Amino acid sequence: MESHENAMEVRHLRKAFGVLKAVDGIDFDLKRGEFLTVFGPNGAGKTTLIKILCGLTQPTSGSAEVAGFDVTEGNPEMRKEIGVISHATALYADLTPLENLMFFARMHGLTEPMDRALKVIDEVGLSQRRNDRVRTFSRGMLQRLSIARAILHDPKILFLDEPFTGLDLHASNVLKEHLKRLHDRRRTILMTTHDISCGLEMCDKVALQVQGRFAFLENIGNVDRDQFEAMYFDAVRDNQFIMEIGAK
Amino acid sequence: MNLYLNQIGAIIWKDFVTELKTRELLSAMFIFALLVILIFIFSINLSIVKASEVGPGILWVAFLFAGTIGLNRSFMLEKENACLMGLMLVPADRTTIYFGKLISNFIFLSIMELFILPLFMIFFDIDLLAHLGPLLMVVFLGTLGFCALGTLLSSLSSNLKTREIMLPILLYPLLIPIVIGVVRMTGQLLEGIPLLDMMKWIGLTTSFDIIYIGVSIMTIDHILEE
Repeated sequence: MESHENAMEVRHLRKAFGVLKAVDGIDFDLKRGEFLTVFGPNGAGKTTLIKILCGLTQPTSGSAEVAGFDVTEGNPEMRKEIGVISHATALYADLTPLENLMFFARMHGLTEPMDRALKVIDEVGLSQRRNDRVRTFSRGMLQRLSIARAILHDPKILFLDEPFTGLDLHASNVLKEHLKRLHDRRRTILMTTHDISCGLEMCDKVALQVQGRFAFLENIGNVDRDQFEAMYFDAVRDNQFIMEIGAK
Repeated sequence: MNLYLNQIGAIIWKDFVTELKTRELLSAMFIFALLVILIFIFSINLSIVKASEVGPGILWVAFLFAGTIGLNRSFMLEKENACLMGLMLVPADRTTIYFGKLISNFIFLSIMELFILPLFMIFFDIDLLAHLGPLLMVVFLGTLGFCALGTLLSSLSSNLKTREIMLPILLYPLLIPIVIGVVRMTGQLLEGIPLLDMMKWIGLTTSFDIIYIGVSIMTIDHILEE
């Protein structure tokens, strides 16, 4: 699998919910160690795209390979290679960070769950709060713990679904630092976000998803930031207009 | 196989630690079952009706109604903060989630039942101790069937907005064979009939336990997937 150059290969991917096309013919490749940021207005299908790539939902048609595995097969081996961070934390509110991470470490079959949990808690700077209930945590701390959960098994590929949502400036900077560190460690990252500055700053490739399609996909070196920003805001405005028409 | 069992164990451990901290599930189930029994006690004149005739039905109604609260709560925990998504992303066979939840539901329900049985004995003035072994076996079979089907259906209904309503609507009709079996067996035990004379009811209940577990293994993958 290490010999596989592409971490992701997506071809003509489609997902429809009745008449609504959430993902409508997406194609792209992502090499190992690359960072792709996907922008797009609300309802563009970004979360659905991530859910398909993680194997959480089946595509209607098309194909996608992640870490060399067909995502439609539900292979547990693929899940060893990926970590997911979304705006929902996937953490048990009544457990402590240590208990949460020990639980997920055991589910991942890690040999020393306690040691590994303590190590990643330290990495995200939550050692002081490791025995407090997660329910008492701020949004920023939850997101840091969510990163710890996602990197617990040292995955090669990370999916981040709007990870900056609800974070204050400090928490946002802390998250950026973590993502940069992971990118430096040659982790392949696919992130969806509305945050133009964060998204463009860290990525190698940038895409704009509109109504289920990639309206734009380019290496960051070839992207004019101002033009892209204008294009993004146009897409958001047009999408708002379409949604208002639809509501009427 | 070791990893499979370890993953099931991890889910049970997580549910127990959560319950130890919150004490929501067991206390809610116990109080609800107790209230059901008390309501029946006040609404039935036990000087006219024989306690051993109405008792088994009342006991199982209390178990099943209280158990439904437990099942609803059990998968609500997984839905909160999208924890179920976190579970779906671990490299585990999806049946580990089913068996982990099934076993923890079974243990919680059994603990509640062990507290309710002595109270039932006192309120209905029935000597359960004389039939304790066979009665526990009947309770085991009934609880297993209830949890096997209930765990599957609560995972199904957890994706619905009306999950609290949908779970009993889906669950109770499908439970009828098991309810008939365990109520009949409990009644006959209280009349002093030995368990060996109830093989057809044991067979019926055990068969449905196996069917429900089998169907769950075959369908849980599709049910958990969005």
